[in-house]
Amino acid sequence: MRDFEYLEPTTIAEACALLKHYGGEARAYAGGAYLGIVMRQGLLAPKALVNIKKIDALKGIRHDVKDGLVIGALTTHRELETSKIAREKFPIFAHVEREVANIRVRNVGTIGGNLASGEPLTDLAQVFMALDARVAVVGPATSRLIPIEELFLDFYHTSLADDEILTHVIVPPLPPRSGIEYIRFSSSSVVDKPCVGVCVRATLSADNETCDELRISLGCVAPTPLRARKAEAILSGKDFSSELVEQASASAAQECSPTADLRGSERFKRGIVRVLVRRAAARAYERARQH
Amino acid sequence: MERRTNGRRLDYLAKVTGRATYLADMKLPGLCHGRILRSPYPHARIARIDASKALKIPGVVATLTREDIIDHPALDPYYGPVFKDQTIVAVEKVRHVGDPVAAVAALTPEAAEEALGAIEVEYEELPAITDVHEALKKNATLVHDCVKVPETGFADLAELRPVEGTNICTHFKLRRGDVEKGFAESDHVFEDTFTLPAAQHAFLEPHACIAQIDAGQRLTVWATTQNPFVVRTQLANIFKLPVARVRVVVPYLGGGYGGKVYPKVEPLAVALALKAGRPVRLVLSREEVFHTITKHAAVIRMKTGVKKDGTLVARECEVLLDTGAYAEIGPRVAKKSGYTAAGPYRIPNLKIDSMSIYTNKPPAGAFRGFGVSQSAWAHESQMDIIAHALKIDPVKLRLKNGYEENDTFVTGERLTSIGFKQCLTEAAKAIGWDDKPEPAKEKHIKRGKGIACLIKATITPSISSAVVKLNEDGSASVYAGTIEMGQGSETTLAEIAGRELEIPLERIQVLGVDTDVVPYDLTTSSSRSTFHMGKAVQLAAQDVKNQLKQIVVEDFGVPAEQIGFAQGKIRLPESMLDYKEVMQKRFGMPGGTLVGQGQVKTKTVDERGEKTTSAFWFVGAGAAEVEVDDETGKLKLLRYVTAVDVGKAISVLGCRQQLAGASITGMGQALFEELVYDNGQLINPNFIDYIIPSLGDTPPIEPIIVEVPHKEGPFGAKGIGETALIPVAPAIANAIFNAVGVRIKDLPIKAEKIFLALEEKRGDSR
Amino acid sequence: MKKQIRIRVNGLERELEVSMRATLLDTVRDQLGLTAAKLGCEMQVCGACTLLVDGKPVSACSYLAVDADGAEILTTEGLADGAKLHPLQEAFMETGALQCGYCTSGFLLTAKAMLDENPHPTEEYIREYLAGNFCRCGCYGEILQAVKKAAGL
Repeated sequence: MRDFEYLEPTTIAEACALLKHYGGEARAYAGGAYLGIVMRQGLLAPKALVNIKKIDALKGIRHDVKDGLVIGALTTHRELETSKIAREKFPIFAHVEREVANIRVRNVGTIGGNLASGEPLTDLAQVFMALDARVAVVGPATSRLIPIEELFLDFYHTSLADDEILTHVIVPPLPPRSGIEYIRFSSSSVVDKPCVGVCVRATLSADNETCDELRISLGCVAPTPLRARKAEAILSGKDFSSELVEQASASAAQECSPTADLRGSERFKRGIVRVLVRRAAARAYERARQH
Repeated sequence: MERRTNGRRLDYLAKVTGRATYLADMKLPGLCHGRILRSPYPHARIARIDASKALKIPGVVATLTREDIIDHPALDPYYGPVFKDQTIVAVEKVRHVGDPVAAVAALTPEAAEEALGAIEVEYEELPAITDVHEALKKNATLVHDCVKVPETGFADLAELRPVEGTNICTHFKLRRGDVEKGFAESDHVFEDTFTLPAAQHAFLEPHACIAQIDAGQRLTVWATTQNPFVVRTQLANIFKLPVARVRVVVPYLGGGYGGKVYPKVEPLAVALALKAGRPVRLVLSREEVFHTITKHAAVIRMKTGVKKDGTLVARECEVLLDTGAYAEIGPRVAKKSGYTAAGPYRIPNLKIDSMSIYTNKPPAGAFRGFGVSQSAWAHESQMDIIAHALKIDPVKLRLKNGYEENDTFVTGERLTSIGFKQCLTEAAKAIGWDDKPEPAKEKHIKRGKGIACLIKATITPSISSAVVKLNEDGSASVYAGTIEMGQGSETTLAEIAGRELEIPLERIQVLGVDTDVVPYDLTTSSSRSTFHMGKAVQLAAQDVKNQLKQIVVEDFGVPAEQIGFAQGKIRLPESMLDYKEVMQKRFGMPGGTLVGQGQVKTKTVDERGEKTTSAFWFVGAGAAEVEVDDETGKLKLLRYVTAVDVGKAISVLGCRQQLAGASITGMGQALFEELVYDNGQLINPNFIDYIIPSLGDTPPIEPIIVEVPHKEGPFGAKGIGETALIPVAPAIANAIFNAVGVRIKDLPIKAEKIFLALEEKRGDSR
Repeated sequence: MKKQIRIRVNGLERELEVSMRATLLDTVRDQLGLTAAKLGCEMQVCGACTLLVDGKPVSACSYLAVDADGAEILTTEGLADGAKLHPLQEAFMETGALQCGYCTSGFLLTAKAMLDENPHPTEEYIREYLAGNFCRCGCYGEILQAVKKAAGL
C-alpha cells in the first residue's frame, strides 16, 4: 500500500473542501470495507484519505411520516440490519443485510460507502431502487437529491464528483398495500458475492387485485444495478396472473445485459433473472395482499 | 502450571490462547524482509535483467537475480524432488505467471516492495502452452527444452523419465490381461470423458521461511514444510553443504494438505540470506501462494467393458494430468492416478496410460487425495452410469466387483487388511440407501442420494525413525520428525508412547521438529504418520522397556522371564518397581537417560517375497443426500456420510476430525473450487473469487469409523488423512443424477452446469 | 507519515506511533507482540485476522491503525480471565473445534462478540454469524458444537 495523508474533518463542508483541495487524488474513507481491499491490491493509491467517520451529521437512521426512512451515509450494514426502526418500517433491509458479505464487513462497511463505490455485485442498491429511494449529495458549493438509479454510471463508477459526499439515503414511506421481496442468488458458496440479485415491489390498488405500481430491479446483470422497465410495464395496471408474471420475467431476462464472469455465463444469468423475477413477484404480490 | 491435556489434544491450550507460534510470528535480530519479483507472462525468455537501481533504494540490503546463481562455484541452482527442472530464480526463461524472476531483501517490507518496482526486466514473450491437449500436439512449443534427471532419486519413480522432444513429463503405463479381448467379451462398453480443474490447497497460513547463516557457517532454515528432511537434502544439494550443516526447523503449521511438501520458498530465502549476509524472512502473500503450487487438473477418458450381470471385464483409461511448469511431484501423482484408475474393483483386463504433462501454468503437486481424487472422479461417476444403464443398484454393482481380503490388486500383489465392503455397506446404511428421499414441499426442489468409494496407496518404500528418551523421573520425551499441521500427530504419538510405557500424557513431551534434534523421517504426507511414525515411536518405547528390563535383570538380579510391565511400573513376582527407581539404581543418582530407538522402513517386497507397492491400503466410501432446484440448478447438500477403514482408532475424536474435515475439502472441490486461467493468467488468485467452503455451506456430516486392524500398524492403526476427501465429488454427482437425471462430468458442479444440463434435457433452447 | 494513537488493548492502555498505512493487524502483532490474530487472505474474507474493536469483529488486516485511535481492542490473548479460560476456549478444546489452529483466534473472537450481543442464539443464527470465518481443516461441525455448548444450547 502506498503511503497517504490521513485527514479527519468534523463537518461535511470541511470534508468537501479537503476533497476539492486534492482534486481527485483524495478519497473519502468511511470504514475501509472497499478501500481496504483496492488499496491493498494497489488498484487505488490516493494521496490522501479523508476520514469522514467523525462527521456526526452523516450518522444515524431516522424515520418520519413525510420523508420516510433517512439513512445516514455512515450507517454500517450491521446497523441497518439491526436497527429497530428500520426493522419496523422496512423489514426487507434486515432480510437483505443478513446475507451481505460477512459480519466483519457488515460491521465496518457503510451504506454510503457501498453505494459510492459503485460496486456492481451488490444487493442493497436493487432494494433501494425498488423502493424509489434517493440519495442526498453534498459538494463544496452545491447539494442535490438524486434518484438512486442516477447514481450509477458504470462498473465502479458513479455520478458523484470527486469533491462530493453522499450524505444520506432517503427511502420514502411505502404506500399501503405494498409488498416487497428480494432474492439473492449465489452460484456457489453462501459467502460468495451474488451472481444475480432481484428485487420486486408491488403496490396494489384499493381493490387489492390491480397492480398500481410495480418495481423490478436487477443487480449483477449489467454494469450497474438497473430497473427492468418493460417488465414493470407488463404488470403495471393489470391484475396479477401467472401468465403476465411469466411474460414480465422473460422480459426482465432480456432487458438486462449480463456479461460472463466467474459467477456465470450470460445465458445462465438471464435464465436466473427469469426464475427469480417470477418467484420474487409472486411473493411481493402475496405480501401486498396481506397488507 | 496449568493442566495441559485433561484428555484433550496437546497442542490445544497453546492454540486457543493464541500462544502457539507459527512461522510468521517469529522474529530474529537483524532480520531482513524478502520480497519476490514474479513473472507477468506465462512463457517468456528473459532478455535482460538489471537490479542495480533497486539496490539504491534506501533500506535495501541485497538483490538476487540469475547473475547471482549461475556459474557460481558454491551452488547448483537446479533442484526439484523428481527432476531438476526448477531454479532458485528464473535463468533463461520464465515458465508460468508468478515464476520467481528476482528477489530483494530490505530492512522494511515497504522498502522491499518499492525495490521490486526498480528492477528492470526485459522479456521476449513465447507462445504459452495452457492446456494438456495443446501440450501434446505435434510440434508444440516446449515448456522445457531439456530436463535434468538427478543421479539418485525416489526408488518408486526410477523407471519414469521425461519423453524427449515433447511436453510429456512422465508416462506411466499399466497393462494387465488383454483389453481388446476383454471388450470383445463384454456385453456393453461405456466410454466417457471426465474432467476436473486445478485447485488450491488454500491453507490459511501462507508459505513462509526464515533463513539464517550462523557464525559457524551453518545454515538454519525455519520453514513451513511438511517434509523438513527432504528440504534439508535439497538445500544441501543446492548449496553444496553436508546435511550436517543444514538445519531445518518447523513450527506448528497452519495447514498443509500436501501443499507444503518439497522445497517451496526455502531455496530462494537461503540464496537471499547468503547474499544479504543476514537473516531473511519471506512470507508469501495470498496471491503468491496461488502461483506457488496447485492440485493437478485432469482429463480422464475411461472406456469400460461390462457383462450384463454387471461384472467388470476390461478397462482402457487415459489420464492426462496438467503438471504445470515444473515436475515437482507430478510424476508420482500421475503414477498413483494410473494405479487407481481401476478403482477398488477386480478388472482382469487393463490398459492404463497416465501422463504428467508440462504446461505454462504454476506447478501442480501433492494435494490430499494425491491423484486418486482425479481417477476416482472418473471411475465412481462411470460406475453409476453403468449401474443406471444396466438397471443394477449402484451399491450392489460395487459390492459385486469390489475387492475383498486377499484379492489381487492391479499391480499383482495381494491386498490385506481392507475393509472396503464394510465401508460401503456402512455408508449405504447410514444414508438410508434403500429408502427414497423424503420429497420437498416445493415442487421445483428434487432430492436424491449418491454413493462413491475408493482405494488408495501410501508412499512406499519410506522411512520413519523415532527416539523415546526416558528421563530420570520416569517422564518421557518423544523425538519424531512428524509435523504437527493440524492432524493431531503430536497427541497421537504421545498417546502411542504413553500406551506402550503406560504413563499418562501429562508425563510425555513430544519435541518440536528440528532436523538437528529428531531422527530422519521421510515426510508428513501420504497419510503415513500414524502408521509409520506411530510404529517407530512404539518400537522406541519398547526399546526403552527392554532396556529397563535388562537393568532389572542386571542390577536387581531378577530373571528376565519373571519381569513384566503393568500400570506404568515394572512388575516383579513379589513387588512393583517405578521406572524412577530402576533409573536411580542404574545411574546411582537422580540423573541419567535411557534412549530407545525405533525405525520403520517399508519395502517394495514383503517378508514372503511378494511385491508390495503400499505398506497399507486406504479404503472408504462416501454417501450424499442432495436437493436440486430444477429451475436454477442450485444444489444444496442435505447430509453427508463418510465411512473409512481406520485400521484401529488411536483417537476417536482425531479420526472423526480427519473424516469430516477431508469431506468438507472434498465438497469445496466438488461444488465450487476452481483455478480459472485466461491464456495462462490466473484470474481468481484470491479468496473473494476462489471460494472455499464455509460453515454455511457445510451440511451435517456423519463420520463412520470402520475398524479392520492392520497387523503392522501401531495397535492396529493405519492412516486416514486423505481417504474421506476422495469419494465426495462423485458421490455428489451421483446424487444429482439420482435427483434430476442429469450427469455432470466436469468439476466443479456449479449451479450453472446443472442448469444448462437440465435445459438440454428438457430440449429447452430459449 | 506517522501519527500517535492511544488504544486500550486487552484492558491495558497503549500509546503507539503508527504509520498512516499501518493496519491494526500489523500494529498489534509487530508493536505489541500479540500474534494470535493471523494474516490469512488479506481481503476481509477468511477471518483469520479478526479482532474485536469496541466489541465488534473486524478484519484487522484491512483496518487502519489510525482509525482505531481511542478504541478498545480485544485479542485472543485477552480472552481468558487470568488463568481462567473463557468458556469458548474450554468448549473449543473439549469438542475438538480446531486442527491446525490458524483460524481459531478469529473464530473465538467472533463467537465471543456474537454471544455478547445475543447470549441465546439459535443454531441458524450461529451458522450465519460464523459463516464468514474459514476453517480449511474443516472443523465446522465441531465449531458449531463448541459454540452451542458455550451458549448453553
